[in-house]
Formats: sequence, structure tokens, C-alpha cells
Amino acid sequence: MAQHSVESVDPKAHTITLALDLQLYPFDVVYGAAYVFIDRCYVLLDKTAGRCLIHLRGKTELSEKELLDLSGEFGNELLSQALRRKIVKQNQKIIEEITTQAIAGAAGGTLPTDFLDSSDDGMDFLDDPLGIAVPWEDKFKKKSAEQP
Amino acid sequence: MSQAQTAVVRLHRGLYMQQAIKEAANTFADFASFKIVRDGEHYAVTVSDIDAEVEGDVVAEFCNFALHNTMQRKKKRI
Repeated sequence: MAQHSVESVDPKAHTITLALDLQLYPFDVVYGAAYVFIDRCYVLLDKTAGRCLIHLRGKTELSEKELLDLSGEFGNELLSQALRRKIVKQNQKIIEEITTQAIAGAAGGTLPTDFLDSSDDGMDFLDDPLGIAVPWEDKFKKKSAEQP
Repeated sequence: MSQAQTAVVRLHRGLYMQQAIKEAANTFADFASFKIVRDGEHYAVTVSDIDAEVEGDVVAEFCNFALHNTMQRKKKRI
């Protein structure tokens, strides 16, 4: 089986049944594709002898052609999900690295609330305990100038 | 409920998680009664007392929910 095959089509019940080789498509891929169709169809999965059966029933009335189109779309979605899975696997380390850096950056950031210090040290804004406001000349006056 | 209907759905144990099925059954508990039993490789879910006044297919919606819940739970495991 190269890809999915149509097991049965029942236009009266608006249902199509597809069969997949599970060696070709892992469960994750089947779940991913089924998830995409869950809003349009009633999806029922089953398994038998290494094959996965997918029953799709339209939520609205569907003709035989529409059901076959649905089958084709499901096949496309399977390929899309398989590719997506492969890319994620290939780039797993890069994704983890970027996520780690993003989280580390977010955790180390300063928030505006950090500046809201509620403790009152009883100082006025004009107080200068470190002598920052003292002019350089006063601070480093020559000794000779002090002793005339 | 105006009408009692019964249906049996067989969900493969390798594809559907029991907790996910139970969660779906709880979601639809107001519209039908659910009984879940193991039957070989499947869970046989008997859906009875289906409220006929409900628009849409309760059994099929239940299956969709069971599948969705299974996917969500498998995602969390990863």
C-alpha cells in the first residue's frame, strides 16, 4: 500500500472508510490528520492487522464525489502531518535552545514593580550620605591651600 | 427525555484512552447514559437513553470528543 486506500464509500450514510498502513504512517500522524477533520466530520479510528481504519462521516450531507474529495484531503493532511513531524524532530534541539533562552531572558528581566520600594529609610531627597553632591574642589583640596 | 435509544460503539484500546472516553461520557451525561466495558481489543461503550430532542448525533459527537480527549492526553504525556 503506497498510501491510504478507500475501503468503502456509502453516500447514503455520508460515510467513507479509509485504510492506512501503520508502518507508513505512525499513530501521531493519524491523530494529527484526524484532529484537522474533527470539526467537519465525525471521525472514528479503528485498528486491524497492522492497518488503521478511518471512518469519516460528514456532519452535513455529502455526495460520493465530495466523500472521495474528503479522502484525498485526508491523504494530503497525512503527508503534511508526517512532514511536520519530521521537521520538528530534526529541529528539536534548536527549538529547545531558543525556548530555554526565551524563558531565561524573561525570568531575568526587571519589572517596574522592582523599583517600588515600600520601606522608608527616613531620608530626604537632599540628604547626601555618600557625599556625591560635594564639589570635587572641596573634596580634594590641596593641603597647602588649607594651610596658608 | 422524550425517547429512549441505544447504540453500541467499539473504540479500539490501542487508539482511545479509557480516561478520555470517561471524560467524553461525563461531557454528554446530560444527554445519554454511558456504560464502558472492555471487550477484547476494544472498549465497548453502550450509549442508552439518548435524548431524542437533542439536535445532532450524540453518539458520533461522543466519539469525536473521545478522540479529541485522547489526543490531548497523549500530547500532555509528551
